[in-house]
Amino acid sequence: MATKEEVLEYIKKIAENKVLTKEEVDAAFESGSGITTDVVLKKKIGIAEILYYIGGAVVFLGIAILLAQNWSLLGFGTKVLATLGSGIAAYVVGVLFSRDERTEAAGSAFYLISAMVMPIGIWIVFDYAGFDANSYSSHTLISLILLIAYSLSYYVFRKNIFTFFSIIFGTWLFFSLTSMMVDSGSYFDDWKFYEYRVLVVSIAYMLLGNAFSKNERAPLQGFFYGFGIFGFLSTALALGGWSPEQNIFWELIYPGLVFGALFLSVQIKSKPFLVWGTIFLMAYILKITSEYFSSGMGWPLSLVLAGLAMIGVGYMSFSIKKKFLSA
Amino acid sequence: MEFIKKNITLIVGISIPILMIVFVAASIYLPGLFIKPNVNFLYAYGDEYYSQERFTVQNGKLVKREVPRYESQSYYQPPREESKLFLHDVVKNESREVSFEEAQRLNLDSGTKSSDGFEVINGYQGGGFFPFFGGSGSDYNTRYLKGHNVSKKINLQQRGESYYYDFRFLGWIK
Repeated sequence: MATKEEVLEYIKKIAENKVLTKEEVDAAFESGSGITTDVVLKKKIGIAEILYYIGGAVVFLGIAILLAQNWSLLGFGTKVLATLGSGIAAYVVGVLFSRDERTEAAGSAFYLISAMVMPIGIWIVFDYAGFDANSYSSHTLISLILLIAYSLSYYVFRKNIFTFFSIIFGTWLFFSLTSMMVDSGSYFDDWKFYEYRVLVVSIAYMLLGNAFSKNERAPLQGFFYGFGIFGFLSTALALGGWSPEQNIFWELIYPGLVFGALFLSVQIKSKPFLVWGTIFLMAYILKITSEYFSSGMGWPLSLVLAGLAMIGVGYMSFSIKKKFLSA
Repeated sequence: MEFIKKNITLIVGISIPILMIVFVAASIYLPGLFIKPNVNFLYAYGDEYYSQERFTVQNGKLVKREVPRYESQSYYQPPREESKLFLHDVVKNESREVSFEEAQRLNLDSGTKSSDGFEVINGYQGGGFFPFFGGSGSDYNTRYLKGHNVSKKINLQQRGESYYYDFRFLGWIK
């Protein structure tokens, strides 16, 4: 049996001679270690895939409208069949389509239908079983069931789309569980509590986006970076409040957060960070100008200065994009 | 260790919401373990608008005032209701109905805060997951004892759906 050093040296040699590719070595390692490789679409989503997903969303819309229009006419069995039944059927079609490379992308659209329709199906079952289906505890249970179902699906099929749904249902679980804990107890200011939760979820999304950027889940990076930075900057701006009830901490720290986002856009080569950083820097300039300078200097002069500052921000953003982010 | 090092952003990303859940749970449930309210209070239950009597506290004693019936043939006369008095034991979290005579013997403090720093507040009906869609406001079906970062739901003697005028806090028992 060769030693570890000998094996590594041998791999180095065959890599120099281009006998094996990195992927082949990875596949051999994973098959030996029992780790299943993620079967993921490494290519970016194209027009065809977008059309598949739009189709999936339209199917969901059709089912939702059918239910809404005939809610009182339909019996429990029909409602469950139309939602949970079609959700399970769509999931099975997704599994079958995913087996063939030619229909794999269409399979993802069926997974989308199942993920959108199944929560309604479970909600109907809860409602029929006598639970208050609109309560936070029911939402917690429904989201937990779906999180477990889609996490297991990811474990079995190793597909990006299941990672995506698991995170979405995990987010739902986070909001419903925290709402359930607080209930109607007036422990926190409702708005502030909501804002801090969005802030936490946004930070988590940005970190997940960063984690995904380094592996085969890279196609998910853009979505989580985009929603993460948008949620983070918009919530931080909202937490700043408005004079005279402003929060000085958030108002003072905000420019640092925005410039941090712009700096990170270069470091991690992310366009969503640059775009949202620029938009929220402009929003902050407008907010601060109208909040503090509109009465002293007068609204027209404040607008002129804010406009000039925004032109400056726009130029800076354009320069960063051209210099650092152009492929 | 190698796994943690390699997936540190993923682990931190998943941990932050979990930590917030733990923090929210701790800030809600932990203070209640150490700080407990101990001043009982008196309240009236029954729609005050239709009630035939009004209760007030004067010089630390409960006073009842009969509300004269408005005599008119042309207006609808709603049925008169009787308000009931309840003494709430905050330690056991249960209410006991008391007669007016029994309640009158109690020494009451009609201030909003008790001597141990608690007050009776309405529950809060959140606007769901998206508060900007509206629907938030006071929840008159639930009342809480709130103070020192502790909020305890009060088991009230009430029937069905409650409205603003149904519950009337009268005073803390001295």
